[in-house]
Amino acid sequence: MARNKFDIDETLETPFDIKHLKRSFIYIKKHTKKMVAALLLSALGVVISLFGPILVQRGVDVAVPNKDIAQVVLLSAIFLGTIVINVIFITIRSKLMVEVGQDIVYDIRKDLFNHLQELPFKYYDDRPHGKIMVRIVNYVNNVSDLLSNGIINFVLELFNIIFILIFMFSVSVKLSLVVLAGLPVFMVVIFLIKNFQRKAWQQVSNKSSNMNAYLHESINGIRVTQIFTREEQNAGIFARLSGNYRKAWLKATFISQCVWYSVDNIATIISALIYIVGMMYMAPEVSFGVILAMSGYASRFWQPIMNLSNLYNNFINTIAYLERIFEAMDEPVTITDAADAYELPKIEGQITFDHVTFAYEPGKNILEDVSFTAQPGESIALVGPTGAGKTTIVNLISRFYDVDGGAVLIDGNDVSRVTLHSLRSQMGIMLQDSFIFSGTLLENIKYGKLDATDEEVRIACQTVCADEFIEEMEKGYDTEVNERGSRLSQGQKQLIAFARTLLCDPKVLILDEATSSIDAKTERLLQKGLQELLKGRTSFIIAHRLSTIMHCDKIMYISNKGITECGTHEELMAKRGDYYHLYTSQLQEA
Amino acid sequence: MFQLRWVWANMKGYRKLFICGLLCTLTCSFSVLINPMISQQLVDKVVIGETAADGTVTRAMNLLIPLCVAMILCTFIRSSLNYLSKVCYEISSQGTVHKIRNYLYQNLQKQDMNFYDKNRTGDLMTRVTGDLDMVRHCIAYVLWMLLDSLAMFVFAIVYFLTIDVWMTLCLVVLTPIIFAITKVYSSKVRPLYINLREKMSDLNTAAQENISGNRVVKAFAQEQFEMDKFDRKNDDFRVANKEPSYMWLRYYPYLETVAQSLSVVTLLVGGIFMIQGRITPGEFTVFNGMTWTLSNPMRQLGMLLSDLQRFFASASKIIEIYYARPTIVNRHDCVQPKKEYDGKVEFQHVTLKFGKATILEDVNFTANPGETIAIMGSTGSGKTSLINLIPRFYDASDGKILVDDVDVRMRPLEDLRGHIGMATQDVFLFSDTVEGNICYGDTEMPEEQIQEYAVLAAADDFIQKMPDGYDTIIGERGVGLSGGQKQRIALARALAIRPNILILDDTTSAVDMETEKYIQHSLDTLNFKCTKFIIAQRISSTRHADKIIILQDGKIAQMGTHEELVKQDGYYREIFCLQNEGAEMAGVN
Repeated sequence: MARNKFDIDETLETPFDIKHLKRSFIYIKKHTKKMVAALLLSALGVVISLFGPILVQRGVDVAVPNKDIAQVVLLSAIFLGTIVINVIFITIRSKLMVEVGQDIVYDIRKDLFNHLQELPFKYYDDRPHGKIMVRIVNYVNNVSDLLSNGIINFVLELFNIIFILIFMFSVSVKLSLVVLAGLPVFMVVIFLIKNFQRKAWQQVSNKSSNMNAYLHESINGIRVTQIFTREEQNAGIFARLSGNYRKAWLKATFISQCVWYSVDNIATIISALIYIVGMMYMAPEVSFGVILAMSGYASRFWQPIMNLSNLYNNFINTIAYLERIFEAMDEPVTITDAADAYELPKIEGQITFDHVTFAYEPGKNILEDVSFTAQPGESIALVGPTGAGKTTIVNLISRFYDVDGGAVLIDGNDVSRVTLHSLRSQMGIMLQDSFIFSGTLLENIKYGKLDATDEEVRIACQTVCADEFIEEMEKGYDTEVNERGSRLSQGQKQLIAFARTLLCDPKVLILDEATSSIDAKTERLLQKGLQELLKGRTSFIIAHRLSTIMHCDKIMYISNKGITECGTHEELMAKRGDYYHLYTSQLQEA
Repeated sequence: MFQLRWVWANMKGYRKLFICGLLCTLTCSFSVLINPMISQQLVDKVVIGETAADGTVTRAMNLLIPLCVAMILCTFIRSSLNYLSKVCYEISSQGTVHKIRNYLYQNLQKQDMNFYDKNRTGDLMTRVTGDLDMVRHCIAYVLWMLLDSLAMFVFAIVYFLTIDVWMTLCLVVLTPIIFAITKVYSSKVRPLYINLREKMSDLNTAAQENISGNRVVKAFAQEQFEMDKFDRKNDDFRVANKEPSYMWLRYYPYLETVAQSLSVVTLLVGGIFMIQGRITPGEFTVFNGMTWTLSNPMRQLGMLLSDLQRFFASASKIIEIYYARPTIVNRHDCVQPKKEYDGKVEFQHVTLKFGKATILEDVNFTANPGETIAIMGSTGSGKTSLINLIPRFYDASDGKILVDDVDVRMRPLEDLRGHIGMATQDVFLFSDTVEGNICYGDTEMPEEQIQEYAVLAAADDFIQKMPDGYDTIIGERGVGLSGGQKQRIALARALAIRPNILILDDTTSAVDMETEKYIQHSLDTLNFKCTKFIIAQRISSTRHADKIIILQDGKIAQMGTHEELVKQDGYYREIFCLQNEGAEMAGVN
């Protein structure tokens, strides 16, 4: 599927599948005991509440004619007793169901989130983030009621129907058939609108997802919007998305309400039919008492069906969300530990590319047959035109993508054969985007090593020259920042990301444009600390600034799907090739 | 209650429809009684019939069909009315919420940077989605249910009073107890709902940051940490969800018992009254059959108040951003918009403070039309803050900034910003096509022009190579593109509005030398009037500037041309030497 943007509905290829419901039973299973208990309590409650009318009946028929006040009081007391017991049962059941419902939601959300952690970059790159978010939070919230109370009520109502059916048939088979005659009609109605209904609710989930995506992007891109004074135009787009959502919602509810509407009418027609058929065609052979009883049963039979149809509506609505949730859970994890993956031993630092070929999109190779070896402790600079594949090379080392041909080896271990965690936790990777999490600066830096002491953090910050500006902030290391990194300059963010990377004491260090926004002077200071740090670590540095790259042990010029030049600064300068050209062009400028 | 008034104010345009819905509902609740009456007639007159003294039974068979038809018709009308009322509620609630949502969106767009520095994305998202859904629920369900329950309750009491006053009083005596319990419950549950929506917002934030920061998470192999972190939020949310339910279940048994006890009261008091001859068995039957009209509203009350509290908690949060007013707004007496600016920018004694921290201090300089001003300085010296003052992302704490000799605060914001093109450090691209991103400032732009600007920004080459060229959809924040590519698209986007003032905040840092040179050439030969501000780290980017400003701790330390500054001792020369060192070593020069 091509990349998705905010105003493109996500198509769902799989047709309606009962599997989704079956699958949700995995989550319900854990709570079988509670579910059964709740069911029993409810059933008992129903039985107990049947006593009420009987007690009233007895009072009116026996106690009152006998003018027996004592008996009236006694009956009332018993009545109250049944109510208290019933209420206790209902309370316990509700408590159980609250637990089950929330636990199920918790479990689904946890599984979904954990699965998302394993998905490759591509998943996140291919769709607006708001669309992923809405699945984790909003959609999951929507399924709790159906999977807890919904199921219990469904079973109860089913029993109810069976119960009444037995009674009905024992009274009059023929009239029972009349009552049941409405059922096929009802089925037809359900069947006719089912497809519309399902599509309509899918639309609701699509439109809400689109709206969320746009909202999310708008908040994050607010500065761009304001500088381009796009506020009004964006508001127009948002109004359109919001309007689409409204339309979808209204359509879905209007269709859903039809179910209830038709049940109500069918039920009444059936009741009327009982009288007509009973009185006009069966009157002599069927007693009037029977007709009376049957009309009573008829309404009792249709009540649970009405309740069931409400549940059904709820179900169709929820399925639309469940589908999306399971779809995300089924998203294949393309980069994962091999079945026989082993822990990568402590890295020495030898990195080999063995005839590596790689393409983001089939047929468009970014790298073709690339081979090189970096010795332990070497620092390697990658230079070349933008988009040539420098970032791709470092991404392959940390196995953010799998190679299409050849192999990437660390100390002779194929990276695709070792566990991801053992691989990545030994590498320090500093990306172009220095994402800052909301929280304190201290927490952000400790992200590289969760159990680092404050002292270690400080030392790391001193090494990267971040200590000074952090100390100058109102609360120093405890200054709160939000995820947009408010009030930190890009350079400061990079320094923090740098400290974060260093803190994890990596054996392999990858710096991808890590210092581009840091001013030359700070970078100079940084270089000294960095030289220390690079000792004993294999490092890959992508940079445009010559001062950053010329001290590296080896410089590789990347272009044309591979390495066109490789050597030390002096060697490459002597060669008078691409690197020489790049270098002199910068110098002439300076 | 302010929240309700706020909703009502926003229901303008849908109030009539909503009231129509209420009327339908009231008619429905009233007509619930009609069908039982018809079937009563059917039973009495047709099925049982009248037994004459001689034992012959006369059945009014001629009434059978009309009564049955009446019953069906009545149901048809009632259910149609019911359907209609739902339609009214849905349309009016969706309409109102749609209106609020659009207003919120517009208001969010207007907020200044102070607002966004304070609020987390996930929290803002929660307000516009989850919280707003509570408002919808309130209109589409809670409000009319409350009225419906109330009407039903009043109707029942009036009806009962016509039958027997004492009996009615005995039933009503329980009502204050119900009210007392619901009131206590309602005040207890309120903080729990406020807590719940906080936790919801936390959960949203956790998910949002994890998704946005997924590269960092993977780079540090911190998936487990993220899972644990999210697990805590998820669990907090679960607990917060259970708490109000448990609170409800603590009060529910009393409420339910009292509500159901009405039937017991009917039996007890009614039985005694019957024995005393106060009421007839027929009247008793009416009471017994109708107690639910009293008890149902009573039990609904607790649930509805609970929802209402939840609504209050959510609505308060929405109202906060609904009435949030940006501090940076147009003045009433601002000057007329200008079609084109000359591009003169002047800083006069500008000081900028955030709280106690002084970011800029007494900054003075003038950029003449068409000039290129380069700004350099160490990390955190205030470069970005300085240029942020020109389009008024922040207002100066002291001093003023003049654009074409008019204070920026006197210019209409849209006009001012409309003439400024800016490419920021943190390149934000939208998940749209490349083309859509470049023409972000002017969506009407023809395709050839878009390409023209891409060529200027040295972006055309790589865009052409992308799978769908200019129609390639790029991910949010431009993920999947290299840093240099993103920067070039951002540059094309800024150029595409033909700004008279162009601000490039470190826009070419990730671009290779040759490309940068090309871009500089493009900028020098733009075919429109343009004053340029360039923040850069490399001498190569700044040396040709007409004026180079060196910032140090928020103050201008040096200012002049390349030639002048190289001769002076100071930051610029230091950098120059640093960057030239390599050249000497290699012996190229």
